[in-house]
Amino acid sequence: MIPSGIDPSKVTRILFQDFSPWMLAIFYVYAIGCMAAFAWGVYAQVHKYRAGRRGTRLAWGDIGRRLLDTAKTIASHRTLRRRDTTAGRLHAFIFYGFTLLFIGTATITLQEDILGPLIGLEFWHGHFYLLFKLTMTLAGTGFICGLLYMMWRRGWLKPPKLDYARPDRTPQDADFSRERYRIEDWAFLWTLLLIGITGFLLSGARMVWLQNDPAVWDTRWWAPVGASIAAGLKAVGFTSAGAGALRMGLWWLHGVLALTFIALIPYTKAKHIFTAAASWLLRNPEAIRHLPLGDLDADRIGYRELGDVASRYLVQADACTKCGRCHEACPARAAGYPLSPRDVVLTLREQANTHLGEVLPKPRAAGCAAPLIGLATGEYRPETLWSCRQCGACTEICPVGVEHVPLINMLRRTLVDEGEMDPALQRTLGAVNKTGNCFNESRRKRPNWTKDLPFKIKDARKEPVDVLWFVGDYASFDPRNQKVSRAFARILHSAGIDFGILYEGETTAGNDVRRVGEEGLFQQLAEGNISTLGDCSFNRIVTTDPHSFNTLKNEYPDLGGTYDVSHASAFLKELMADGRITPARKLDFTVTYHDPCHLGRLNKGYDAPRELLAATGVKLVEMGKSRDNSFCCGGGGGRVWVPDPPGTTKVGEIRAREAAEIHGLDALVVNCPKCMTMLEDAVKTTGNERNFRVLELTELLAEALEPEEPAVLPAHAEVG
Amino acid sequence: MKILVPVKRVASLDDEFELNDDGRDVDPDFCEFDLNEFDEYALEAAVQIKEAAPEGSVEVVVLTIGPDDADDVLRKALAKGADRAIRVDDAGLEEADRVAIARVIAKVAENEEPGLVLCGAQSADQGNAQTGMSVAALLGWARTAVVSKLDFTPGAATAQVERELEGGLVERIEVETPAVLTIQLGINTPRYASLRSIKQANAKPIECLTPHDVGLADAEIGGAGALSRVRRVFVPERGRGEIIAGTPSQQVARLLEIISEVNG
Ligand code: SF4
Ligand code: SF4
Repeated sequence: MIPSGIDPSKVTRILFQDFSPWMLAIFYVYAIGCMAAFAWGVYAQVHKYRAGRRGTRLAWGDIGRRLLDTAKTIASHRTLRRRDTTAGRLHAFIFYGFTLLFIGTATITLQEDILGPLIGLEFWHGHFYLLFKLTMTLAGTGFICGLLYMMWRRGWLKPPKLDYARPDRTPQDADFSRERYRIEDWAFLWTLLLIGITGFLLSGARMVWLQNDPAVWDTRWWAPVGASIAAGLKAVGFTSAGAGALRMGLWWLHGVLALTFIALIPYTKAKHIFTAAASWLLRNPEAIRHLPLGDLDADRIGYRELGDVASRYLVQADACTKCGRCHEACPARAAGYPLSPRDVVLTLREQANTHLGEVLPKPRAAGCAAPLIGLATGEYRPETLWSCRQCGACTEICPVGVEHVPLINMLRRTLVDEGEMDPALQRTLGAVNKTGNCFNESRRKRPNWTKDLPFKIKDARKEPVDVLWFVGDYASFDPRNQKVSRAFARILHSAGIDFGILYEGETTAGNDVRRVGEEGLFQQLAEGNISTLGDCSFNRIVTTDPHSFNTLKNEYPDLGGTYDVSHASAFLKELMADGRITPARKLDFTVTYHDPCHLGRLNKGYDAPRELLAATGVKLVEMGKSRDNSFCCGGGGGRVWVPDPPGTTKVGEIRAREAAEIHGLDALVVNCPKCMTMLEDAVKTTGNERNFRVLELTELLAEALEPEEPAVLPAHAEVG
Repeated sequence: MKILVPVKRVASLDDEFELNDDGRDVDPDFCEFDLNEFDEYALEAAVQIKEAAPEGSVEVVVLTIGPDDADDVLRKALAKGADRAIRVDDAGLEEADRVAIARVIAKVAENEEPGLVLCGAQSADQGNAQTGMSVAALLGWARTAVVSKLDFTPGAATAQVERELEGGLVERIEVETPAVLTIQLGINTPRYASLRSIKQANAKPIECLTPHDVGLADAEIGGAGALSRVRRVFVPERGRGEIIAGTPSQQVARLLEIISEVNG
């Protein structure tokens, strides 16, 4: 504590001691100049954001909960620690260090420039000051450690996700270079590091300079880093006067660096301090499962020009810290497609900065008319937009709440509106419009798969049912998936469930049509199904298809269809819990489970399927990428309808290879008809056909419910 | 300048279908209808010419002959970039063959005075491939069938076209305009008409005319103007195939059965 004989009010930080009036004047002029530059920068950025379109479903009533969630997320660094714990923790060091140092400096201003002159309040001495010193030392140490780690990570660890090479451009393109970002990254780290280091040096120099003042010298170990530096300075021969001169020099260096940093915040990556928080606050937590409802009568259905983009997305574009988590998670990027979700965000940022101004605001009218899609510098290329599977891996992992999925979807809506798409996709959409299914089959054939069942499924259009089963296209028309549909029907039948289907009355639910960007067709399909369902009497909807599940549950309500919708796996789990189905025997297989994006990441259905697997007795070995980090089968976003160009790796092949790494694997268990189609194909093309099978969870369960010997696994030749 | 694109609403059959009572056509209940695929290419070729020309200098007019259900294909064509649509009602055209249909198109062409008439090379349902050429004959215009490449600047006196011949040969032809060309699949990539653009096309008017309105005399309409008549449509008897399943001995038994059946 404070040594006896020292007046506690003397134990304080000397601030402007020995400063001549002109020095003080220069300091205040510079400080006010920096504040003004900061304010101008904030104005310029807000001008940019306000050029975007307003009002995208942000409920203000929700604001309290949102603020709390944002505060919690920032305080816990929850999103930053995901899939990169060390970087997340060390970022927390920097964050907390910076915050405390900033608050510390702010309290100085508070006393010196506000409370002191106004009401004569002086609190900044005595014990409070000593504790303050200790806290600042800890904060500064953490801050510097964090920064050093980040430098080490960038300079030596070099994780691939921090490689800024753009998959959507070639080195010949004018907008290929990311040099500016690289320079900025290092300048940012160095500036902060120098501010931290000069702060400590300053503290040491001050101690040596004032070594004869016991109020300073005898309490120096409350700032242990400064005290050690002081010892060092003395050891190399610094006298009080020499240290005084050093202190004056360091004081100015530290002060100018810190003030300059503040002035530059709005113009550099440092702005993420504010934009990341704003982005998280404004984000739509439903973004990946619920796309925005398009107004078919408006002049535009999608994003064509900069001014069409929602303001929120412009803030998000500035919030991106290029952390690369989305880039790493993106299956299209991993398979070599010309898409990185990070570059999708940065493209928007660059386009907004170029046309609306980053430093000097540019006229809105011209800026808003800047085109977004095309082959010119700074525009989104159609092939980039078409590469996306709308799998949500990017948006789900983004620590600052960027919504890549709806952004890409809004851009695709423009491509669809202009009729620019792969001919195969055109044919499929044409078929969906004509026949109500993507197989271009007659409507009449939809229920054909039921013909081989030993019982008749109720027609929900004609009689009331408890459970309405929405079958979906792949489960109705694809021969391999028809087997699964029949297995599910048998389970429901033997469990005594009162269920029915819509027969020819069903049309495709439209989830993927919407994800392609064909909003008009989606709405027509949804309205058709909603009207059909409106004439039926049922209590709940069940589907084996996660895509239908997603849109029925999350998107149909926008068009007036609100139902109690469950995925088959959750429903079967319920039946098991109620004792309506009981496994008759244990299956002796080693399996792995592929989380379908639409059930897992989009709707958090991770556990029910695993509980069912456990009930069958199989041994579940998880793949490296599972649950929230599951890797798309490649079929999402309408890509199931577009053949991969020859010579490219298929997204599904990467997944099949990952499964193949599991020793002694008998089956790759899927839980979605499209995953079945994609992964069965990928297992064949990777030559793993003889190593393991692709099975549906429902099939496996049906197997376990049957008392007799399993027929599924040994009969390799039967499925093909 | 105008480009006239006659289009057809074609039928595609279900696996199972029934014939009309008179046995001369398929019962439309068993068909799905859509814009003829060949016509999509012809339309795209017309729209591309329009888009390459100064704005407002080219008008693409689509024409179809059929009942009001056929408005759907016109809407689709409007959504894909046509500027104006005409439907000639087919009441009284029941007995029309392709020449009788060509008479209607030719009359509309005389009224509209297009610089080009672009037809699909054939219809996907009947595949006569004669309508376009009959139109040219009736008008007395230059014509080229099954065009696989088209180069034309509106206002020019000729159009440069290519046709693919046997053996990988390509024939390059200069055709005087006005001309009638029939367009082959693959000449371009037709654009997609989004549901929204089709809906918006609903707002555009479709001019509805009768064969008399376009200036045909009674003697040219329907059966009177036709040169041929469909007598019967039927599914010919086909040889039957059967895959014999079962154990080898069951298979042999079934095979013997078939042999004795065939030998009578
Ligand atoms: S949704 Fe999936 S495929 Fe599309 S950008 Fe994001 S991660 Fe990549
Ligand atoms: S968009 Fe999000 S996840 Fe992707 S690089 Fe930027 S901050 Fe990281």
